[in-house]
Amino acid sequence: MSNVPIPPVDAKVNITCCEYCPVACAYKVYSWPVGRDGGRDAADNAYGRDIPVGALSGFWPSEEMHTVTEIDGSPHNVIVLPDADMEVVNIGGTHSIRGGALAKKIYNPEGLTADRLQRPLLRVRGELVPIPWDMALDLIANLSRYTIDTFGELAWGMKIYSYQYYENVFAGSKLARGAIGTPNYSPHHAPAAGDDVPGLSDVGIDAFGSAFEDDKEADVILIAGSDPYETKSVRFTTWTAAGGAQLIYIDPRRTFTAQYALNHGGMHLQLTPGTDVVLFSALAREILANGWEDTEFVDSYVASREELDQESKYRKQLFGQTAQEFRDFIMAEPDFALDRAQEITGVPADDIKKAAEILSGGDGPQPKTMLLFEKGLYWSHNYENTAVIGNLGVLLGATGRPGRATSRMGGHQRGGQSGAGYPLEKSPHSFEGHPIEMDTEEWLVQGNTRMRWIVGTNWLGAMGASHALIAKVAELVRRGPQVTSTDPATAEAQLRARMDAGGMVIVQSDIYLNDSTEYADIILPAATWGEETFARNNAERRLRIYEKFMDPPGEAKPDWWAFAQVAQRMGFEGFDWKESNDIFEAAGPRSEGGRRNFLALVEKAREDGVKAHDLLRSYGNKGLQTPLGRDDGGELTETVRLHENLKFKSDSGKLNFIRPDWATVKARNAAIGPDTSKGEVWVLNGRVNAVWNNMFDHVRRAISRERWPVNFIEVNPEDAGARGIESGDMLSIESDNVLDQLGNRTTGAVSAVAYISDSVPPGVTFVYFNFPGSPANSLTSADSTLQPIARRYNFKLGKGRLTRTGSTELGRIMSFVPRNLAPQGG
Amino acid sequence: MGVPLSRREFLFLGGAAGATAAAGVVVPIAISSRNDGSEGGGAAPPTTGTTTTTSTTTTTEAPGGGETAPPVETAQGYPRVMVASMGSLEVDTPVMFEYPLKGQGNLLVKLGRPARGGVGPDGDVVAYSNQCTHMGCVLTDYDGQHKVLGPCPCHFTTFDLTLDGEVTLGHATEKLPRVILEMDGDDIFAVGVDRLIYGHDDNLAGGEPVA
Ligand code: SF4
Ligand code: FES
Repeated sequence: MSNVPIPPVDAKVNITCCEYCPVACAYKVYSWPVGRDGGRDAADNAYGRDIPVGALSGFWPSEEMHTVTEIDGSPHNVIVLPDADMEVVNIGGTHSIRGGALAKKIYNPEGLTADRLQRPLLRVRGELVPIPWDMALDLIANLSRYTIDTFGELAWGMKIYSYQYYENVFAGSKLARGAIGTPNYSPHHAPAAGDDVPGLSDVGIDAFGSAFEDDKEADVILIAGSDPYETKSVRFTTWTAAGGAQLIYIDPRRTFTAQYALNHGGMHLQLTPGTDVVLFSALAREILANGWEDTEFVDSYVASREELDQESKYRKQLFGQTAQEFRDFIMAEPDFALDRAQEITGVPADDIKKAAEILSGGDGPQPKTMLLFEKGLYWSHNYENTAVIGNLGVLLGATGRPGRATSRMGGHQRGGQSGAGYPLEKSPHSFEGHPIEMDTEEWLVQGNTRMRWIVGTNWLGAMGASHALIAKVAELVRRGPQVTSTDPATAEAQLRARMDAGGMVIVQSDIYLNDSTEYADIILPAATWGEETFARNNAERRLRIYEKFMDPPGEAKPDWWAFAQVAQRMGFEGFDWKESNDIFEAAGPRSEGGRRNFLALVEKAREDGVKAHDLLRSYGNKGLQTPLGRDDGGELTETVRLHENLKFKSDSGKLNFIRPDWATVKARNAAIGPDTSKGEVWVLNGRVNAVWNNMFDHVRRAISRERWPVNFIEVNPEDAGARGIESGDMLSIESDNVLDQLGNRTTGAVSAVAYISDSVPPGVTFVYFNFPGSPANSLTSADSTLQPIARRYNFKLGKGRLTRTGSTELGRIMSFVPRNLAPQGG
Repeated sequence: MGVPLSRREFLFLGGAAGATAAAGVVVPIAISSRNDGSEGGGAAPPTTGTTTTTSTTTTTEAPGGGETAPPVETAQGYPRVMVASMGSLEVDTPVMFEYPLKGQGNLLVKLGRPARGGVGPDGDVVAYSNQCTHMGCVLTDYDGQHKVLGPCPCHFTTFDLTLDGEVTLGHATEKLPRVILEMDGDDIFAVGVDRLIYGHDDNLAGGEPVA
């Protein structure tokens, strides 16, 4: 029977937010012992509602919102229900297919999450064997000390989530960047630490992030390189679409949101992959040519040549432009003229013109315009693409005011407060004589990393970029002796000997084994969401508490604890935290001055004699929008939108334009783009609605696996017909022309089931980006020297040849209906 | 402790093996080429398993219909109500009916294409709750070209009626509740509902049965 138990009046209620996308919808967690259910009368249940409930009530837990787990030694029902009382973020308890099923993420010893890691493991003769925490921590500490003393701190690396909870990120980065002092530190999503939107930063705009209410305030919203319905789902339905703004959607694919825009009086500019610089610059040119820019704003807030010359940032010196310089540059570049732009981008000249008019208001009054973007834009060409959207933002005055912003939509939530500054001066990499963050993957492939701690990422899937990295890692961990015994001294000596032989030792912290585990020597079981109290910001800088409601399974421990233990065993000071709140409080001062500044909260808590976590808890699921301050009465103040004071990221507080180097981008496109003479097509990649990232939770959720049993590839009917491909066929997607970490040409391949769809144009395909066993980055360039300003990969510009390898039965069990069936306007 | 598995989890984990043999449909999940076996605590990770069709109610649903044995589990306590006759159905023209409680709307449609759980000579007649499993809005748009219900007027979820009401795209966390149908000659009977109907903790509680 299909039943979901009803929480009794005295069920325990905790608050939390979604673990997944940057919207961070709020939830309430109800837990109570199995067998002690409440009743259907409002007076008999924890919801205070009569059951059944009516439409949009927010008090209906679907079967996916319930699980059973062990709490305090006995079976408990747990319902993770979207918070129906919300007046911000997920108003009224709306939710998406991902977060709505958070309950299914919870450890259930007899369910799909039973394979949670529960004890530290050591690879002995190729097999993973449980060892005590003490031994694991001593091994890591001793080997780390040995690495640093023998090979230097650059040989010790950490690859870690940038986005996770404040407490974990702070502790990990404090150990790596501070105590050990290594620049060999990079986030889950990039080969190097540092700014992901350097072009926009150089313009002077803080990208992360605009207030959701501005989506409603805006008259026009441009969205580039992200389908918000798919991937920031509740933001789209509750905010972006709800305000009725005219949407200008930019994407090589006709996604749901593209079709939604078209059905609702908006536009879809379906550009050729890699040509954003031309499209955005052509829009800017069209605006300038017609005098449609926000003259008053540009006159008031764009730096003069004198001001620019005073700027301390070298990139501003290299690329910064005044309004006049920008105008001259844009007008002089023939590729930015409408006809050339049409040829290059594939977007009809009339559409570019019309979009420029809508965005700027043309000769009429200026609309409130938002420019929103995400990885499809900035992981195509990083510096240049983030610069050109910034340039457009400045022309339109799209910042700092209601309904006006230029912002990322976000890939993850935001808990990345580092515990120590990045030791840039130690980085071996530089750009035109200026040190830049180290490309840690290149460094590793060159054999320079002796020990690496991988925290919470399937890094080989993410960084894979052909099989060259995996092959190199396999070689490095198998070089020299393998561990043959769980005797601590023997194991340590053997791993040291491997390092001496030029090999590498890998430590992995995670909640499950993943594709990268095969190469790990020591594995630490992590505690996750709901198993420890954490804090984090969402994409509109809303800081909230994620309460613990159960213990982690087995001996799993939060990552901060493992970092602190290793640090202390290595003799470092400042890591004697008793609980996660201690770290949150320690992180306060380091957040000062930034967009996530919560120092005022920490200070107020101290004055009130309470824990900062508890004070934050008192603000409930609404939380506090950072940066925080204090008013005259000492109460906390919030910040709705960034740049509210119209002061920008520069010494002068003014904005500037950034000159994008289109010639370089063109050359880069030629180096990494498909070779059509070999039958190659673009293989773009990104997320889909039903699953989250490397699918660590969603491979363990039946309903997600039924939707996506294997990776899929969207293929245009024309391309499919020419190759005899039908929906449901398995394809091998291969290229022998992918650049590896050293810039060598190599082979990459993934397999996926064909999903024939005209959402992609001929010559363009799309796959899920990090499907276990089928990582799309196998087909993308890993040569970060192609983007020398900030070492990044051109992640979204993959390519390959499609070969049908056979038919499957998937046609019978998997849906192949179009995924862009958007409602009609009305 | 004994923590119950939902039926779906059971099928996904272990039940799949048996069902696979029976159905003859095996889809390798290209998740991991590796099986470290010795690793981890607890059961084998599902990442190395197989999946299969998850047709959960058997005897009354085979294409070809005509079987009258009542479904053993799902139909318990449900009324048996005639909701349409085969001869009056036209492809892609939905018929509405209330079931199992008054006020609970459902849509029955002959899809013109065999469907999971479909009855009738062509195995293409299905019925689903028309209340969206996201937040309960009434699904009004049946799309005969793609055999989907949706997009939902509230937050645009779309459900595939050929595949057990699966969410093709959208916010809903659950498939659409499927009304279990049975043929008796030309008559089509509703005999149960698979999955929870929006708003309810129990499909049969909190209202008046239609019969
Ligand atoms: S929209 Fe994002 S934050 Fe909200 S429930 Fe879905 S995944 Fe979670
Ligand atoms: S109620 Fe149907 S999608 Fe929200």
